[in-house]
Amino acid sequence: MDSTLLITLALLGAGIIAGLVYRFFHGRGHKVVGNECISLEKLAVSKNGDPVTSFGKTATLVQFSTQYCGQCPGVRRALAKLEYRHGDVLFIEADITERLNLAAHFNITQTPTVLVLDSAGVIKYRVGGIPKPNTIEAELTKLGVK
Amino acid sequence: MTAPKMIDPRGPRFGAAITTGLSLIAFYLSLSGEELAYSTIVALGVLFFWSILSPETHPYGLVFQRYIKPRIAPPAELEDARPPKFAQQVGLTFALFGMIGGLFAPVFVTISAAFIFIAAFLNAFFGLCLGCQFYLVLRRVGVFR
Repeated sequence: MDSTLLITLALLGAGIIAGLVYRFFHGRGHKVVGNECISLEKLAVSKNGDPVTSFGKTATLVQFSTQYCGQCPGVRRALAKLEYRHGDVLFIEADITERLNLAAHFNITQTPTVLVLDSAGVIKYRVGGIPKPNTIEAELTKLGVK
Repeated sequence: MTAPKMIDPRGPRFGAAITTGLSLIAFYLSLSGEELAYSTIVALGVLFFWSILSPETHPYGLVFQRYIKPRIAPPAELEDARPPKFAQQVGLTFALFGMIGGLFAPVFVTISAAFIFIAAFLNAFFGLCLGCQFYLVLRRVGVFR
């Protein structure tokens, strides 16, 4: 086999490896240390037309979305379903399309990004991209959501 | 703000699959020292430019609309057209880099083809749109609004 073909196959291989690495890390959440507490005043999101002023009883899910995000509506539906299933969970969504300062504060590089907060509003867990199945549920269970 | 144009996300991915093939061919040809490599990069550049200028008349889009879309299920989600369009602009930048650099040294054609291949391949087969990923980051650093 000539070297030209070999290098071309190597490029193809590099693409496949990059794709597999992406697939492995995409939607894989990680614990958040630092005990940052979210300020609902600064987040200033509304839900069903009313401003959100208190956290969920046991946990809160925050989804950061943009208007041009293709995968955000699907994640929104999944999280809203979780909220419906567990009465003590609150789901809120922040549109950061025009609020780049919010994106900068939370260091958001992709949407959707999902944060899991405890009852006091402290960030416990973070997922960039579409959360892998059951990751959010597992975190909610850890926080004592029934 | 005007309502953004919404598109079937599988359209750009179908186009990316064709771009994947073309850029891999360009990469192979440029390594073999073939003149045809340069023409392939020019063709890619024209296709990128076309999809930015008039996505409705782009051949990839027409093939997708006529032959692919009727055979597959309706899309689960529609997608904003802005990030894919931005991705096409990134592709065009790479193609221009190869077209201009290639006038001086053939290695620039190879580099350009490699970048286009990686970006198109990840988009087509893994659903990772590099341009879309950088869209928010670039807006954050203030490159554009």
